[in-house]
Amino acid sequence: MQQAVFGRANALRRGEFRGSAGEYFGIWIVNILLTIITLGIYSAWAKVRRNRYFYGNSFVDGHSFDYHARGLQIFIGRAIVFGYIIAYNVLLTISPIAGGILTLLMFFLLPWIVMRSLRFNARVTSYRNIRFDFVGKTWAAFVAIIFGGLIAFFSLGILAPFASRWLYRYIFNNLRYGGRAFETDPKIGALYRVWLPAFLLMVVGAAVAGLLGVMAYYSVVEGADASTDPEMHLLLGIYGALVPALVLWGVAAIFYRIGVRNVVMNATRFDARHTLFSDLGRLRYFWIVISNLVVTVLTLSLMRPWAAVREHRYVIEHSGIVVDGELGEVVASMQNSGSAVTAEYLDLEGFDFGF
Amino acid sequence: MASDTKPIASGRWHPPGSSRAEPAILLGEGKTLYVRLAAGGDPVSVGDMARMEISARVGRIPRRISFVDGSLFETEDNDAVDLWLKRQGKSGFVHELERFHPRLLAFVLAVFLFAGLIYRYAVPALVELAVLVTPPAVTHWMASGTLLSLDQAVFDDSTLPDARQAEIRAAFNGMADHASRGRAGYNLNFRHGGVIGPNAFALPDGTLVITDELIELVDGDLDMIIGVLAHEIGHVERDHSLRQLYRAAGMAGLIMLIAGDVGAAGEDILTNGAALMTLSHSRDAESEADRISVELMAKAGRDPRAIGKFFAQLEEKLGTGGDSSFLSTHPGTAERRKAIDDHARSVGSGGS
Repeated sequence: MQQAVFGRANALRRGEFRGSAGEYFGIWIVNILLTIITLGIYSAWAKVRRNRYFYGNSFVDGHSFDYHARGLQIFIGRAIVFGYIIAYNVLLTISPIAGGILTLLMFFLLPWIVMRSLRFNARVTSYRNIRFDFVGKTWAAFVAIIFGGLIAFFSLGILAPFASRWLYRYIFNNLRYGGRAFETDPKIGALYRVWLPAFLLMVVGAAVAGLLGVMAYYSVVEGADASTDPEMHLLLGIYGALVPALVLWGVAAIFYRIGVRNVVMNATRFDARHTLFSDLGRLRYFWIVISNLVVTVLTLSLMRPWAAVREHRYVIEHSGIVVDGELGEVVASMQNSGSAVTAEYLDLEGFDFGF
Repeated sequence: MASDTKPIASGRWHPPGSSRAEPAILLGEGKTLYVRLAAGGDPVSVGDMARMEISARVGRIPRRISFVDGSLFETEDNDAVDLWLKRQGKSGFVHELERFHPRLLAFVLAVFLFAGLIYRYAVPALVELAVLVTPPAVTHWMASGTLLSLDQAVFDDSTLPDARQAEIRAAFNGMADHASRGRAGYNLNFRHGGVIGPNAFALPDGTLVITDELIELVDGDLDMIIGVLAHEIGHVERDHSLRQLYRAAGMAGLIMLIAGDVGAAGEDILTNGAALMTLSHSRDAESEADRISVELMAKAGRDPRAIGKFFAQLEEKLGTGGDSSFLSTHPGTAERRKAIDDHARSVGSGGS
């Protein structure tokens, strides 16, 4: 796909995914089997093999990515988190006050944890012999993630585009590839354009829930039964009303997430010249997620590898980079990856860095 | 080029710490590896096998050989690298298992078998352990949070006269004294049920709630009221809510740990499903609570069949419409009453 802009050739290089469902099935089933046999210990190594399979099969411009975290790093991280939870519960038994203080401490540590896990995940990712890096600071993480999240929540989602803008500016403006920077400036207007349909869907969902809720209310009044848990009654009433609403909200969330991803990636520049690219279809992606879920459930999860490969392939093939001239040679700035503890605590695998 | 230097595979070479890529060939001599550019010339990277990193094989992803100086050779020819490694006495055990092969079918069966065993034995054991170590403070927080939200959402203050409340409370205390926690372990609350209608329930910390509508339904029959409350005490004594909570959370957690990635939609469903699951008592839990009600009532010198009579009353007044219970986790009241009567006979106090 070539487009000429005033004589300068801008070449879009789309991603391609070379994995296959059959091949991943073997990796997936062995991961599960060994995780069970080793009582969960192997799960850290399983994560490494899974990530290496997906990173290593994602190609841009003829080169694939790679994932360099070690099973032991991740295992130690998980062990520390596990130990922390145990210590926390012991402390809670001895002194609830100390437990409360520990909870507060955890809340204040959260931005640091987010920052560290973004850094870990960036540093264990490489492309063409060069590692990524993340140079964000803790305080900025607090503003971008916690403050932004609260604003989005308390404004009932009306200010969500601002929160998204802060979050992705924090992520991309601090992302480095061998000493070269990424920068992003998603326009608030563009974010609101993708937010509007999602928000309308949410409103429709809430209206449906309200309507069904009123109906459920009367049916509960009609058929109360003391041998059932009232909470269950309530919850079933609520869920009965919410299931259609939840589906609508699920659609809205996917619409928004995919819309934001497109806006943010298309507004992200690498090395001040090249632009990232994303053109995921919202309906198409939603269809993939839903049909994957149905197929996975119907086949007792045996088709999960196929579903994972299918979703991944779609995302990768609809991402890319518009290269202005040549990417040129990038030279590494060496760093070790830091510990995996924080990355494990908050598994931020959901934050794909747009590749 | 030495005579015993054999080409292993062709691929691409990156200079130390650089993204530049050049076509190159990997050669081996004994335990030493060389990289020579396709364009020819002297080897650009040399290294001893022990001092370089050869990435483990995963499927068909490019194989990467990192030299000490930070240069990198990558090749798509995994088989050639494996062959060379085998000659050096190294083989990738995990990849061997993962290859597409009929034996994967055996793995699938083994996984299903293990999953069954975990569900049957490991989950209950973990739940017992978790119940054992749960600090009282935690159950207290959970319970007060639940009551608070129910008070805000559905309950109103009880319209029952104070004298009547005191009478029920006194009878309740007489029965609760025989429970293992004693009367101090329980805290009885009267509420106007509203949406919930006639009901009684227990929270894991010993908070009990009974609605005015239930007291009306049984026409103020004290035995029945106390019998129902004894049934709720049974739920508390056996930590049913807590067990249910841990069972659901444990299942969701185990699935996520073992499956590794269940997809975003899968995670949502697991967490929401777990929340739903925690709020239903199983059939076993219900009949256990019935038995405890019978025993407590007998010890307190009240009618042990009260809980069974209560269900009869319920049937009569509300009808056993299938829609009165959303989930069929509750045994039909007829079979339930029979079990209660049998147990009351075996407890030996005939009652009325």
